[in-house]
Amino acid sequence: MTDVRVPETDPFDSAPADSGGPPRPGPGSPAAGPFGLADWLKWAWRQLTSMRIALVLLFLLALGSVPGSMLPQQGSDPVGVQQYFSSHPALAPWLNHLGLFNVFAAPWFAAIYLLLFASLVGCVVPRTFRLAGSARTLPPRAPRNLSRLPRFAEYATSLPPAAAAEAAARVLSAHGFRLRRPTAPAGPAGTAAPAGTADSGGGPGAGDRPGDPEEHWISAEKGYLREAGNLIFHLALLGVLVSVALGGLFGYKADRLLVQGYSFADTQSALDEFHPGRLVTAADLPPFTITLNRFDASYISSGTQRGQPSSFDAQVSYTAQPTGPVRSARIQVNHPLSVDGASVYLIGHGYAPEFKVTDARGQVVYNGPQPFVAGATGNFLSQGVLKVPGAQPEQLGFTGVFVPTAVDIGGTLESVFPAADNPVVSLIAYAGNLGMDTGVPQSVYQMDTAGMRQLTASPLLLRIGQSAKLPDGQGTITFTGYRQWVSLAITHDPGQLPALICGMAALGGLLLSFMVRRRRVFVRARAGRDGTTMQVGGLTRTDASGGFEDEFASLAAELRSAHHQAAQDQAAPPYVPATATPPEEE
Amino acid sequence: MFKAPVWLAGRRTVVLAAAVLAGVLLIGVLVAGWATGGHSDVTDVDGSQSAVMYTAGHRPVAPEFTGTTLTGARLNFSSYRGQVVVLNFWGSWCAPCRAEASTLASVAALYRSSGVAFLGVDVRDTTASAEAFARSFGITYPSVADPGSSITLDFTSAVPIAATPTTLVIDRTGHIAGAVFGSATYPVLTTILAKVTGKTAAVAVSR
Repeated sequence: MTDVRVPETDPFDSAPADSGGPPRPGPGSPAAGPFGLADWLKWAWRQLTSMRIALVLLFLLALGSVPGSMLPQQGSDPVGVQQYFSSHPALAPWLNHLGLFNVFAAPWFAAIYLLLFASLVGCVVPRTFRLAGSARTLPPRAPRNLSRLPRFAEYATSLPPAAAAEAAARVLSAHGFRLRRPTAPAGPAGTAAPAGTADSGGGPGAGDRPGDPEEHWISAEKGYLREAGNLIFHLALLGVLVSVALGGLFGYKADRLLVQGYSFADTQSALDEFHPGRLVTAADLPPFTITLNRFDASYISSGTQRGQPSSFDAQVSYTAQPTGPVRSARIQVNHPLSVDGASVYLIGHGYAPEFKVTDARGQVVYNGPQPFVAGATGNFLSQGVLKVPGAQPEQLGFTGVFVPTAVDIGGTLESVFPAADNPVVSLIAYAGNLGMDTGVPQSVYQMDTAGMRQLTASPLLLRIGQSAKLPDGQGTITFTGYRQWVSLAITHDPGQLPALICGMAALGGLLLSFMVRRRRVFVRARAGRDGTTMQVGGLTRTDASGGFEDEFASLAAELRSAHHQAAQDQAAPPYVPATATPPEEE
Repeated sequence: MFKAPVWLAGRRTVVLAAAVLAGVLLIGVLVAGWATGGHSDVTDVDGSQSAVMYTAGHRPVAPEFTGTTLTGARLNFSSYRGQVVVLNFWGSWCAPCRAEASTLASVAALYRSSGVAFLGVDVRDTTASAEAFARSFGITYPSVADPGSSITLDFTSAVPIAATPTTLVIDRTGHIAGAVFGSATYPVLTTILAKVTGKTAAVAVSR
């Protein structure tokens, strides 16, 4: 590496030397001239497609995802980003410049995964060609000394060597072996060489050296499906990459919470979350509209499974186009609604208690449902907030708990069943400034109580139809009822089906390459003083699952009996030397 | 070193072709991914990154719609034809809408005599909350209830409405002349209206 020639117009002048240094033309390179641009590209490509770089890129990809999970992301949590900006005014702009609030759309992140993609493609494609070549090659010439092979059998026959070799070829061919004969031309794989060519001499142009006319051998190989399986695995792997890319570029994911009796249109501003692929915009959303007419969740009401859900059923009506006909459908878990290329999945549900709030001036300032979200435990004990920014003179806010089947256990309310058999809400009232009028977006599930004062010391407990007067004449709140809500996921992934097919093909190919063994059987027929000595040798590359010993033994036995049979048949009619006639026509 | 089959003799060519292909793919994806909607028929409104004017001749047609106002009256958008209309998509739950509400109320009053009509589209809301919102901010122009975002959907084919609030300025011929994505501010809204009506805020108020 001391004599490194750097071309004058080298664009990689400042390339770090620790990357192995620029390569010199290899021994195979015809030109010894200066290292050209093409050579540099070739070198860069070889580096990129090396296993080392692929691993480094994979590691970088994992490392790059870390800030995405530690910092709030623009796509999934824009409110969190706003809050981060206000709590870290000095740091946030710098992080923003680095794209750390939108990691998965950041140029540097794209660079990593595109390079990784190129690296994998560059690694898999040449390998595929290599495997395709390997699947087409003929077995090697039979070794001189077959007794050295792991499996070996020897016996004598009265057949002349050429006829004995011919009979052996017939047996092996019938077993699906790919054959090679002393002067077999490098013809298409799998076809047995024509019979009787052993002593035809063979010209210098033939695929093999002209065989010794006295030499009669057969190389046979089986288990090329192993290579085919390997090939399928690699091609399917490429297919998976392409499918994932398709999904990432042209797919999207969106979420929407929908209260019973309400409807929504599949347009970006009406979605709670929208994660488009790189080549998808909001304009690509199919313009359907869905109304949730009814949602039924049933639960097991007795036994040890009590409270476990037994079915969810969302009855919806929808239009695929704004002016299209209204159709009805049911959406159940794992039974999405397919509409205009998108799949609408039911991914969650909950309760939305309904409230009517009047303010200090006696005006109705809220009248409707407010979705509450169930905690991880507690039979759909759900929490939520109710913000009433229109109340005057002061804004009102409530933090609340919805208890579907309330039971008083030692002074605290608990839910004993997920269905709403005895719904009770527990509310804490606040008055003051909700902080909404400054324009900073807020979550509808959280309330900033910094500018609020608590009105009630103990929670207000309300059953359906009950009202409570707020202290200081701030108004009243009535728990008027409840509705159920569902959470819908709208997805479009054009790569999903191809990825599934390719994934299955990859698995099948891998299994094939694991289960099928490449095994070789060689047969030599040597003329001796009293008849012909047959030698049969066999080996397998990998015999992890075993079984080749038995296969070889039965094959050797079959060869032996075939030769025995042929010798007997030959004893009756006069011996006819093998000709070019195909064996089947005997 | 593996022996290349005959049909793979030009290994170098293959490698170069693959490199070029990968390069083209890379550039293509980057360009497609980062091209940020650079319409030539749109210009940014001074001082705002989220407000645009559509140049004459490239203005999208505003779709027709009918609906029920918050006070229960039927409203047909086609009855506004011939006026400049400021169409504001809002909701009482939406903090940026609350931030812009006073501005909209005052600009509406300012341009009323110039024949500019203001109309709200109240999305994902309930009547009681919406009426309380209008009372709080002194909004006197009507709003059509759009709880299911169907009017919003009709307009997204013309203008990419990504979020609430969005404010559209529609010219006398029913074409969308300008759009404010996010909270509308006084300077941005009056700049657009001055261009569409030909009257500056000062002239409008002096009449």
